[in-house]
Amino acid sequence: MSTDPERSGPSGLMALPWLAHLIGRRTIFLAGLAAFAVWPLVFNPYLAYAANLALIYILLAVGLNFIIGFAGQLVFANGALMGIGAYCTGLLMYDGGWPFWLALPAGAILATVIGLLVALPALRLQGLYLALGTVAFTQFALWVFIHWEAVTYGNAGFVLPPVSFEAIGLGKDMGLYYLTLLLVVVFVAMAYRISRSRVGRAFIAVRESEVAAEALAIDLTVYKTVAYGVSALYAGLAGGLFTALLGVVVPESFNLFQIVLQFSMVIIGGLGSIAGAIIGAIALISLQELLRGFQEVQEIAFGALLLLTLLFFPGGIAAALKRWVPGWSETHHQDGGRRP
Amino acid sequence: MKPFSLISGLAGAAMLMAAAVPASAETGVTDDTILLAGMTALTGSASNLTRPQIRAAAAVFAEVNDAGGIHGRKIEFIMEDDECLPSKGVGAVKKLLHVHQPFMIVGGGCSNAAIAQKPEIVAAQVPWLILGSTADSLSEPVNPYIFTTYTAAWMEGYAQLQYALDRGAKRIAVVWQSDAWGKARIDPMRKALAAKGIEAVAYEELAPDPTDTTPAVLRVQAQNPDAVIVMLFPKAGIPWLRDAYKIGFKPLTVGPSPMSEVDVIAKGVGTEDALSNFVGLSTVGYTTDAPEVAKWKEIIERRYPDSKFSSWHMVGVAAGQFTVEALRRAGRDLTREKVLNILSTLEMQPDTYAGPLKCTPEDHQCHKTLAAFAIKDGKVSRVGVAVPKR
Repeated sequence: MSTDPERSGPSGLMALPWLAHLIGRRTIFLAGLAAFAVWPLVFNPYLAYAANLALIYILLAVGLNFIIGFAGQLVFANGALMGIGAYCTGLLMYDGGWPFWLALPAGAILATVIGLLVALPALRLQGLYLALGTVAFTQFALWVFIHWEAVTYGNAGFVLPPVSFEAIGLGKDMGLYYLTLLLVVVFVAMAYRISRSRVGRAFIAVRESEVAAEALAIDLTVYKTVAYGVSALYAGLAGGLFTALLGVVVPESFNLFQIVLQFSMVIIGGLGSIAGAIIGAIALISLQELLRGFQEVQEIAFGALLLLTLLFFPGGIAAALKRWVPGWSETHHQDGGRRP
Repeated sequence: MKPFSLISGLAGAAMLMAAAVPASAETGVTDDTILLAGMTALTGSASNLTRPQIRAAAAVFAEVNDAGGIHGRKIEFIMEDDECLPSKGVGAVKKLLHVHQPFMIVGGGCSNAAIAQKPEIVAAQVPWLILGSTADSLSEPVNPYIFTTYTAAWMEGYAQLQYALDRGAKRIAVVWQSDAWGKARIDPMRKALAAKGIEAVAYEELAPDPTDTTPAVLRVQAQNPDAVIVMLFPKAGIPWLRDAYKIGFKPLTVGPSPMSEVDVIAKGVGTEDALSNFVGLSTVGYTTDAPEVAKWKEIIERRYPDSKFSSWHMVGVAAGQFTVEALRRAGRDLTREKVLNILSTLEMQPDTYAGPLKCTPEDHQCHKTLAAFAIKDGKVSRVGVAVPKR
């Protein structure tokens, strides 16, 4: 039995290692993956669509978590970077005639490049100023989506050519769902690898104390830039998938509400927790769909959930899981601003 | 449980289930109900325009039900909120199609959301009567499943231009708002002008919610137009008219359907004098206090006490009546195929439009007669109709 209290779960259950093993994080992840894998085969296309949307938001939340939760940078640019990925993917298909499988990575790469460019001025900013600077970037991107009509088709947007998965014998909805699931598995696994690597540890060091990180010979500029780039990659990829799911690209999909939604997922899930980001994304998309038709209630519910999280679970769902679920642990989780 | 009683129990349950299976095999139709569904913005900034439309259609169905239904079946009508957003609209229509499984869709309020919804509905092969989405791409080229009883985007511009030309205007200026709605109109307007061999003296673009339009008004005034065609929602149209009046610029101004409630516009502007040379073209044929629509005013305000009867309700009434007429003509043996065939040749006069709704197999944009409203002697009056032709 592990003697590391963080890895052992609640003390009352330490005597039951088999229970901790049985319902630990890995088991829950595998169960979740299995559920997602069979979901569209069992449920109707609407519920499959909602699950596909949740998968896309898992990518977004995990990506945002890199920059906010791991590297500790209060950045609100991911709504715009998602939009850039979406527009690039869509325009390459619409105007360039590119196939989706080429346009999607191209969109993700462009979003990554722009994310790295955003990092350059943002490196000089911290805290509230960084937040304001990146919100301004999101607004500027939205302005470009609306007004650069010759390229983006302005407010009316454009309809994407149909994405086809005929080559692998699947319809559009099913093909896109399993492609998204595959990418989520790969990119979540990658997120875990990064979080446990030297790079991930450097992010945490930057988050905890930039002075101490520099004293440990961690190059702030390099690691912060990497965090921006990785986060942007996830956002851009998710943007391309989002575009394929909707079949249209319009600027209003990437407005300030997009920032609020993604930020809420990370906060409610738990800063610095990949599992939390996943659960936060699933929880908020589920809530959004359950409250469909009750827009006012939806906004109140989101606000109340954020408030309750901040008041009672500053570490988000991840903190609650760590406290109550045997065997649940996450090394880099940020417990409501306290050291993990 | 003994084996015999288990078998007999299962057989009994199977017989009960068989008895419960509706006579009609058509999706959304049972022995005594027809399930219709609609999606539009029920909340959010556009809902003040779109919610009345769908509520009025629901009121038509409720009235039909109260009168005994259609061939012994009552209409059930369910609504989903799409908030006028494609990101919400796809989910809304998927929920309708795959969870509720209606016989037919009567809905669609905003073009961007409807454009995203179109592939879903077409793939499901469900008849769709568009309530209030205007984008031409929804109903052109003809799609066997899609019909509209609202004014398509191209029509309004053509009708506005025709109205101005019929009154002798030679120098035309065009003012439009920079959003999807405005863009869907400005391109057809440019084409309409080109088709008539006219070069507009000014094109002025406004934000959808400007606070001060004085500079734009002054730029247009400098070109000395005979007529100004405004393609604006009231949020932009009211400041335009107010600022034009303020500087004494009063050419013939032809407004689109969102500005057709000229008394409401006058209240927003602050004085009826500012509208002395203004007409608003409208999808609907009557003012809200006209005796011709008094019956619907009473019904809407009785069924929705929080609503004040408006032209948006009249749009919904027309769509509802058109739907009911198609279902009625399809008879008791109701199938989607039959309804689609009937819709493609259906002609009827709804209570709230100035002209008939008429579909043909080649043209599913079934509404073509726009009415022009102005304030005359302190009263809102219909001052003509315009039938746009390309």
